[in-house]
Amino acid sequence: MMNSNPSTPMNAHAPSSISGGNGSPDSNTPRRNSKRPKYSRFTQQELPACKPILTPKWVISAFMLVTIVFIPIGLTSLIASNDVIEIVDRYDNACITGTKSQKVQYIQNATTDKTCTRTLTVKKRMKQPIYVYYQLDNFYQNHRRYVKSRSDKQLRNRGDENATSTCKPEYEANGMSIVPCGLVAWSLFNDTYAFSTSGNRSLTINKREISWKSDRDEKFGSDVFPKNFQNSSFIGGGTLNPSIPLNQQEDLIVWMRTAALPTFRKLYGKIEQDIEAGEKITVVLENRYNTYSFSGKKKLVLSTTSWLGGKNNFIGIAYLAVGGLCFLLATTFTVIYFVKPRHLGDPNYLSWNRNPGGH
Amino acid sequence: MSLDDNQQLSPDTAKTSSVVDLGSKRLPHGSRQGDLDSERFSISMSRREIDDVDARLVYVNDPIKTNERFEFAGNSIRTAKYSVLSFLPRNIFEQFHRVAYIYFLFIAILNQLPQLAVFGRGASILPLSFVLLVTAVKDAYEDWRRHRSDRIENNRMSYVLVNDTFRQKKWKDIQVGEIIMFSADDTIPCDAVLLSTSDPTGVAYIQTINLDGESNLKTRYAKQETLCKLPEKDVINGLIKCENPNRNIYGFMAAMEIDGKRLSLGPSNIVLRGCVLKNTNWAVGVVVYCGRETKAMLNSSGAPSKRSRLETRMNREIILLSVFLVALCSVVSVCAGVWLKWNVNELEVLQFYRKKDYSEPEVENYNYSGIGMEIFFTFLMSVIVFQIMIPISLYISMELVRVGQAYFMIRDDKMYDESSNARFQCRALNINEDLGKIKYVFSDKTGTLTENKMEFKYASIFGVDYSGEKTNFEGEQRGYCIQVNGQVWRPKMKVEVDKELLQLSKAGNDTTTSKHIYDFFLALAACNTIVPIVVDTSDPDEKLVDYQGDSPDEQALVYAAAAYGFMLMERTSGHIIIDIQGERQRFNVLGMHEFDSDRKRMSVILGFPNGSVKVIVKGADNSMFNIINKTLNLDTIKATEHHLQSYSSVGLRTLVVGARELSVPEFHQWQSAYETASTAVMGRVSLLRKVATNLENNLEIIGASAIEDRLQKGVPEAIELLRKADMKVWVLTGDKQETAISIGYSSKLLTSDMNKIVINSNSKVSSKTSLGDALVTSRSFLVPNGDTSSVALIIDGTSLVYILDTELEEQLFQLASNCAVVLCCRVAPLQKAGIVAMIKKRTDDMTLSIGDGANDVSMIQMADVGIGISGQEGRQAVMASDFAMGQFRFLVPLLLVHGHWNYQRMGYMILYNFYRNAVFVLVLFWYVLFTGFTLTTAITEWSSVLYSVVYTSVPTIVIAILDKDLSRRSLLAYPQLYGAGQRHESYNSTLFWLTVADTLWQSIVVFYVPLFAYWKSDIDGSSLGDLWTLAVVFLVNIHLAMDVIRWTWVSHASIWGLIVATCICVIIIDVVPVLPGYWAIFNLASKGSFWICLLGIQIAAVVPRFGIKMFIQHCRPSDIQIAREANKFGNSMELTGQAIEMNLSRR
Repeated sequence: MMNSNPSTPMNAHAPSSISGGNGSPDSNTPRRNSKRPKYSRFTQQELPACKPILTPKWVISAFMLVTIVFIPIGLTSLIASNDVIEIVDRYDNACITGTKSQKVQYIQNATTDKTCTRTLTVKKRMKQPIYVYYQLDNFYQNHRRYVKSRSDKQLRNRGDENATSTCKPEYEANGMSIVPCGLVAWSLFNDTYAFSTSGNRSLTINKREISWKSDRDEKFGSDVFPKNFQNSSFIGGGTLNPSIPLNQQEDLIVWMRTAALPTFRKLYGKIEQDIEAGEKITVVLENRYNTYSFSGKKKLVLSTTSWLGGKNNFIGIAYLAVGGLCFLLATTFTVIYFVKPRHLGDPNYLSWNRNPGGH
Repeated sequence: MSLDDNQQLSPDTAKTSSVVDLGSKRLPHGSRQGDLDSERFSISMSRREIDDVDARLVYVNDPIKTNERFEFAGNSIRTAKYSVLSFLPRNIFEQFHRVAYIYFLFIAILNQLPQLAVFGRGASILPLSFVLLVTAVKDAYEDWRRHRSDRIENNRMSYVLVNDTFRQKKWKDIQVGEIIMFSADDTIPCDAVLLSTSDPTGVAYIQTINLDGESNLKTRYAKQETLCKLPEKDVINGLIKCENPNRNIYGFMAAMEIDGKRLSLGPSNIVLRGCVLKNTNWAVGVVVYCGRETKAMLNSSGAPSKRSRLETRMNREIILLSVFLVALCSVVSVCAGVWLKWNVNELEVLQFYRKKDYSEPEVENYNYSGIGMEIFFTFLMSVIVFQIMIPISLYISMELVRVGQAYFMIRDDKMYDESSNARFQCRALNINEDLGKIKYVFSDKTGTLTENKMEFKYASIFGVDYSGEKTNFEGEQRGYCIQVNGQVWRPKMKVEVDKELLQLSKAGNDTTTSKHIYDFFLALAACNTIVPIVVDTSDPDEKLVDYQGDSPDEQALVYAAAAYGFMLMERTSGHIIIDIQGERQRFNVLGMHEFDSDRKRMSVILGFPNGSVKVIVKGADNSMFNIINKTLNLDTIKATEHHLQSYSSVGLRTLVVGARELSVPEFHQWQSAYETASTAVMGRVSLLRKVATNLENNLEIIGASAIEDRLQKGVPEAIELLRKADMKVWVLTGDKQETAISIGYSSKLLTSDMNKIVINSNSKVSSKTSLGDALVTSRSFLVPNGDTSSVALIIDGTSLVYILDTELEEQLFQLASNCAVVLCCRVAPLQKAGIVAMIKKRTDDMTLSIGDGANDVSMIQMADVGIGISGQEGRQAVMASDFAMGQFRFLVPLLLVHGHWNYQRMGYMILYNFYRNAVFVLVLFWYVLFTGFTLTTAITEWSSVLYSVVYTSVPTIVIAILDKDLSRRSLLAYPQLYGAGQRHESYNSTLFWLTVADTLWQSIVVFYVPLFAYWKSDIDGSSLGDLWTLAVVFLVNIHLAMDVIRWTWVSHASIWGLIVATCICVIIIDVVPVLPGYWAIFNLASKGSFWICLLGIQIAAVVPRFGIKMFIQHCRPSDIQIAREANKFGNSMELTGQAIEMNLSRR
């Protein structure tokens, strides 16, 4: 493709040099300017270099190293994950019964009382802080229509209140801009939970600092107040107190960090008290959020945490598997090297030496 | 109206006909068949007339009238492509000629449609604009350099006649029709017809090195009619009617009307832009072509374009990748359709879909046009998201890599030719990697294997062989010299002389022997077209005589004659002066019949001082013996024939000289025939040939000469190495069979233990039988040891006439593939191409042609890789070639070293680019399956755009330019390693599919490890996206690092630097508060799980690849692997070929 151009630098006889006439070296006079390439290790491709060759020793050591590193990490991960105590309670079906359309009708009726009480048993002692999450299954917070339908500008700056073009289809109601606009804010999760133990000890939920500090500080403006929110004919979720600036509406901030996967948890709050094994927790919840029109699930999750996060054995198992595999490979290679050794660089293995003449 | 009507018959005509066509006639006598094409061309030229329609009228010394209609270009040249204004539109237009950019543009445009806007506007245009910008900057820089050189060129000064005086004028202001004066050593600024020169006979010598690379001087003539006019005094008014500008630098047709006379002008009357005036004090000419219409500028075209075989193969795999792409897109769009179908009733209420827009009073669907359309849109969107599956950036990387590789090839000091001060040249930039896959090498002989520097060796004079002991008189006496006006003149080149012959030649003209010797050397000194040029030396009393001429053989003969005391001192159109043993004699040249490939001889008609007239003929032996009078001196003829045979058996080029005295009537008869022929309008060339044939008969033999064409340095070693590298070396030459065979021996192409099969047939039937016999013979040699190295095929051009392009070709091919060596002698240029074509048609193997002369052009262009030797025979071969170099032996470093490296690097780079892009696309694809098939990307759009442009771009290019799988030393020590390229070991479909499998595994690891690790967690999309971004970028760079063989600081810097750069980019993207992923990377990295995931991904992804690679390395090591180990661990003794043989014999 490049050589359609007649005078690339490679082309020593570019037109200019043809007509240039500066050279015309006379054959009898000694050459004034030799074109001999200047020697440098770079141009002769002889830069000093390290040429590692993986000898059997190295190969086995590499596999063993992986084994030695991975097995302990795997084990500690598994232990950490096992130490996490997690209570998951699916309440969407428990709180309403009936057919799908009945449920939808129920949930869409704004006037009915949707209070629902659930009792959870703590099997093992849970140390504070206990994180309270809600979990939604089959809710595509990563749906393309959904993730795009927000205006980060508007959230941040009061002056950009009308920067709602990216928020369609939820950008204007009654001819006025919505703050915060977009499907993400519009679909704000609005179930609420209140906890108490069987011993009638009330468990307060701390809902402060459940969102990222960076979001509160930079992403959501302290001078931006909800406006015209949930005023359209079709209400998607929770409402916001118009007198609290967005950077203090932490539920919204958490919700607006859209989840990566269709099954996700979001932090609802923290319980900063230990709960003893055997205690029963009574949850009084307002079951308002509509997951009934699609086959979504709502779950309440109480979980302690470890250095690795929540309860998840995957990392531990994966590390053990890789570590084990490498150990296996290390032994296999050891066997191979012993059974079928090969002197490195032995010219007898060259193809033309193995079967002379038949190349 | 014919041009030749009024042509003047005089010595002038002889001149004209003797110097026609400086290019095509450069055929050493007896060495090769003529260029039939050029001959046909010159015949057709003489038949053609200039009709008024396409003629250009030039009024001499009247530029105003000439340029009245403003149709002729001015002399200002412009090699620059752009001006400041035109740069942008034109450059962009030119860039979009590349398919890759069109694809980029198509995707970018697709992305601008609101329905399909996957990426933001900026992100979607960025890659395209980046590439456009880089290319534009490169083009702008090149163009700036061209502008600069144009400016320098246009502002040079020349003397132009203005108001009857010569004044300095800038080149760019010169106009057609002006009279211009050149001094010695001036570069000629435009194409001009000579009017007069400082030489009384109107001769001007020019050097055309800038035009065609030939360093010898060419003669040009002013017409006699204009010769005497001095532009400053006499008024010159005339009209030149000439052809429209064309690029044939060896042809020119015009007629000049001056003083009512009509003269025809030919190529010998014009001097061309770029030439340099030499040995002529001044010359005056009238400008006929200017600036871009000059022949030099019309000829400055680009290099030929060939497509690399590797790239062709690669394109096949790219088509496969497009199929993958379409498959991925189909999967996504079909799934999306199914998902919509299942949820069609809920779309309105789904919080994350909400089909309807309630903002307006009228509730409408938002961005939803039915399942069918949604499927279609999803398909297009997935094309946008998965666009880099087609590694378009690969094409750009490949170009950059080739430029880098070319840089190293050009700068390799092992491929610099000291004698011609020539570096290696890469003229074609897109077939570098094919150099690593060559299987057939077709080589010319003269000038390619040999130096084409002829040296007079032996003489057989009247049946007496003088091939005794040679003395170089360097020590005792400084060769032959003569005294001229108190100065010492000596020939520029020393020739070893035969003592006995020297004594005899000095003895005078008395005995019969010395009479014969006198005739012989006189013939050598006279019968040629050599021009002696007197050159100053540092010593003012000493001058050197330099013999300039087209044919190296003639030069050698004239130098030899000079060394024996027959020194050619002056040649003008009508006479020559020869200093014979110190006595200067003048001979009239009454006529000359140029060499042509039909006659294979030339003759000169010489008028001696005593009034006698002789025709002296010199030519190839077979053509000469046909015209020698066999009744005279039969013994001498026999003896000469015998000598000739012995000469050619040692590889010498032979010529036979004969002469005959012409009687007066005979001479007159010839002269009138000659004049008629020279002025003939139709078929002048064939008429002249007929006249020559009539004259050249009944000759008396004088003797024969033997000239050595020395083998170039390192040729035998080079051929041996090439053959060890399992390349088939074929020699295609125009030379005689004996000469070819002897060169074959001396170049180690043939060895004495080889069985030679010779095919010389002159009919179809006999060709067929001899082919059949040969095939049987070759098979019988083939069977016992299973090796082909014992059979050599020698075939001549006459037989090939009946074989090529007939059904016998297949038989020849089979025969040739049974033979280790094929020597084709006496082949015409087109036959050379035919042989290359025969191989190309029947095998997939790569062919390479190497040659230096005009007769190799067709073969160079036919082969997959054409290499031109910039040697003695001009530049046509170089101009047609893909690569040009100074010496045949450079073929070894070029193929075995650079070719191997280039191929291995390019092959790896292509596979790696496939992998690199596909692994990323697959990560995106897996994610799409978890987003309701809606093409959300967790990886930010900026990262996906920067991925191939920044995150992973530099290391692959750097590695592909710099990495070396083996050192130069090992590659040369084991030429067999070259077989890796011939067997396509670095790039083949097995490797492709292995790469695909590896890619699949790695993408699965990269995607699913974080997915499961963060399943049911509160991770947000941006954080997980950042994890995927970093994981995949780290992975592809580590993958590359695992395959790097030589770690120089550059490779370290590029790989680790890019990883750091990626992290910085990801951080920068995450500190923009208006992007959804604000601060995600910091929140992510503050947790241990991120680091654990990252580490786990890298190891789990590369373990299978590493394991398999190590397994193969140990159990089925490739030759390259062994050589590498030997290089590192084995002692250096083992690296030499002898050591291996010793090892073998010990076993």
